[in-house]
Amino acid sequence: MSRAHQLKIGVSGIRGVIGGFLTPNLACAFAQAFGSYVGPGRVVLGRDTRRSGEMIEHAVTCGLLAAGCEVVKVGVLPTPTIQVYVSETHARGGIAITASHNPPEYNALKLFNHEGLFFNQYERAELLDLYHQSTFRQAENAEIRRILTDYESAMRRHIHRVLDHVNVEAIRAKAFRVALDAVNGAGSKMSVHFLREVLGCELHAIAVDPELPFPREAEPKPESLGDLRDLMKRTAAEIGFAQDPDGDRLAVANERGEILDNDEVLAIAVDCVLSRTPGPVVVNLTTSAVIDDVAARHGCPVYRAPVGEANVVERMKAMRAVIGGEGSNGGIIFPGVQYCRDSYMGMAFFLDKMAQTGLRVSEIAAELPRYYRRMGKASYEHGRLGPIMQALEERFSGARIDRSDGLKVVTPEGWIHVRASNTEPLLRIAAEARSQDRVEELYQSALREL
Amino acid sequence: MDKQRSLRISQVGLRGVVGPGLTAAHVLDFAAAFGTFLEKRGKVIVGYDPRASSAMLLEGVTAGLLACGHDVVDLGMVSTPVIQHAIRRHNAAGGVSIGASHNAAEWNALKFFGPNGTYLSTNEAGELLDIYHLKKFDFAEWQQLGKRSADREAMDYYLGQLEQVFDFAALRRFRVLVDCTNGSSAPLLRRMVERYGLQLILINERLEGVEFAHEPSTNRKMVAMQLAPLMRHVGADAGFLFDVDADRVAMATETGEAVSEEMVLVLIAQEMLQMGPGKLIITNLSTTALLEEIASKHGGRVIRGPVGRQAATDMLSGYKPEQIAVAGEGTGAVMMPQFRFVYDGIASMLAVLSALVRRGQTLSALLNALPRYSILKGEVPLETHRIPELLLALEERYADGQRNTQDGLRVDWQDRWFHVRVSQTEPIVRVICEQRGDPPESLYYEIVDLVRSFNI
Repeated sequence: MSRAHQLKIGVSGIRGVIGGFLTPNLACAFAQAFGSYVGPGRVVLGRDTRRSGEMIEHAVTCGLLAAGCEVVKVGVLPTPTIQVYVSETHARGGIAITASHNPPEYNALKLFNHEGLFFNQYERAELLDLYHQSTFRQAENAEIRRILTDYESAMRRHIHRVLDHVNVEAIRAKAFRVALDAVNGAGSKMSVHFLREVLGCELHAIAVDPELPFPREAEPKPESLGDLRDLMKRTAAEIGFAQDPDGDRLAVANERGEILDNDEVLAIAVDCVLSRTPGPVVVNLTTSAVIDDVAARHGCPVYRAPVGEANVVERMKAMRAVIGGEGSNGGIIFPGVQYCRDSYMGMAFFLDKMAQTGLRVSEIAAELPRYYRRMGKASYEHGRLGPIMQALEERFSGARIDRSDGLKVVTPEGWIHVRASNTEPLLRIAAEARSQDRVEELYQSALREL
Repeated sequence: MDKQRSLRISQVGLRGVVGPGLTAAHVLDFAAAFGTFLEKRGKVIVGYDPRASSAMLLEGVTAGLLACGHDVVDLGMVSTPVIQHAIRRHNAAGGVSIGASHNAAEWNALKFFGPNGTYLSTNEAGELLDIYHLKKFDFAEWQQLGKRSADREAMDYYLGQLEQVFDFAALRRFRVLVDCTNGSSAPLLRRMVERYGLQLILINERLEGVEFAHEPSTNRKMVAMQLAPLMRHVGADAGFLFDVDADRVAMATETGEAVSEEMVLVLIAQEMLQMGPGKLIITNLSTTALLEEIASKHGGRVIRGPVGRQAATDMLSGYKPEQIAVAGEGTGAVMMPQFRFVYDGIASMLAVLSALVRRGQTLSALLNALPRYSILKGEVPLETHRIPELLLALEERYADGQRNTQDGLRVDWQDRWFHVRVSQTEPIVRVICEQRGDPPESLYYEIVDLVRSFNI
């Protein structure tokens, strides 16, 4: 990978490889810019379990104090839990130190406003300008505030919010046999507590030691969840859950140890919510049409937003959506808890559904209409995206076109979505159709234009 | 002084008014430079004073050191000597002291120590500065990052070291009034009361981050205002006033007299020479000539060099520790060979009290037994480009004396001398003038007038 991509400072914040790229100096400066932006009030700070988290935490604390902020350290916690805490405690903002699903050598800062939401695109641009201008607020001795710690209440607050939306007693009564792979991430302790103590499951957990490195690839995808499958086989678990290092993404395995497609996971969550409270749904452009089918069953509309959690959240707020998410990357966003991707609400929805219906996970998934999907990525030359989009549009003349994030072509038999990655010099291609042949055909047609 | 221009990065470290002068970015860069400078990855000991900004500096220093692969051992709020002792105990690669000592509360600073808890030599400090300026830091890969831990026993370990030199039981007889200036001497002294039953009466004991009870300088004037008036009321045998990080100390007598800041070094030098005749006293050109008189009485010798800790460190390195009786300056900063040459106000206080025990005398009697010297000190704002001219004029005017140009100009005559030098920390010229007997007022004002005439 080229040097340039080992450090990225842009509208999505700051992210990079530890050891010369994402330095404490940069993290401190960025935090001071953030502190200057949100103003001299309380800022919540938490992190995931990566080895570099402690070092970056000290650098970020330094920058926040220098900007005159009061720092509330909440320790190692999932990102959604930090977001809930920010919104409940009326802080000026929050920072989660996590590179989410990126490999362990990376770290990054996720930045939240006073509602615990990701900064919107305008806020992000403003903050970035402030960072580049380097005219930070420089607090004098008398303006430098304290560091507070609250390692206890955040987890409780988050779980409390989740439980408001499921039938806890029904779940507990079933004492489900559950398998968990928390990738030794920020959710390790909380997930064990949540599933075993709170929801009364018979829990079989692996990778729940936050002191140890990630035992598998950080992103919870089928190829990297072999250990979870083995565990499920060994323990005859009824359902399996896998998290990413900061506990926002969730992968679900059925009782046979097969990893559900992320779009299906989202579709089941959407079904759970709409059956109780019908309302609009927002998903990103790359999310499966299965969501439209499920929403249609409840007579609810589906709106689409550009890829990225912040985009989906923004649109959800505008549409007063009751649920949303990004099928492509395992994120369920339920505003009843917080406008963020939340693996805990996801786990609770599944257990609730199982308790309510008495069905197995494979049976629940079988109720969904069948779609075939193909996702991939291709490298491309800068400046080539435009011509590719034009060619595709010509080729599918008559199809419905959406240009809000790259190009999405929707035909009656399926769709293709081509967009440039925000984080890597890659083109992301996704296609979906009712049949395997058709999806292959759509996907290849996009590749040909490359 | 203009706060924006308060930042000073030199061989002594990093110092400035936090916010407008000294920023988080400076701290991160300097910590990373120090982390790079310490070639062997190992533990680095860190401690801080109670200033509010110290928390910010601590976070930055910790981040920089961890990023360079050093484990950080956080001692909490402790005085600088405690850090230096802990470096040896942990066999650490080095240490950092966060705190601005005798400066006002809005200032802060970083001081750096090598593997033995010693100050960096001029060469080492120069190398550290080069790394800082070059900004090419040796950051560790993610698997090799350091880890932070806390050591809350450093204070007790330090007291244990003091115990090996001083007979605490014998010091219980004294009633001692101590002004902690809201600094890190307070927890240490409180612990000494608990552990050894010393009769210490502490004032300004509360650790303060923003406002100290008074300016943290250890000079006679401060003692006269803060401590001396209380002495008789309390019935104390001796009084001591510390700066914020307890490396300097000043005294008041049992009769309520504020003692010249020059006398801490003098009293300790006298004791040390009596126990080890013929040894050396290391000091600077601005410090009292009474030292020469005492040294000659005990067959010792005074070695003088430029003002500042860096010069003292370099002078010390030229001799074997066993050749040296004591090192220090007239500001109340004294280091003793038993403690491997660390400026230590607490150890200085204990040394003075031990002298009272040994001689069975009161503090005022001990001081009155010494020949009388009178010192006058002052400062004049600086016109930088005229300094060489000024020094030349002084040299011509006082050509009959013996001149020393190591640090500005010092001229010595029989029984009196003056020293004119440029401050390292502020844009001022300092004038110091001393005479055996009465104050050398006419000479002093003559020199001050001459210096002022160059500032139009």
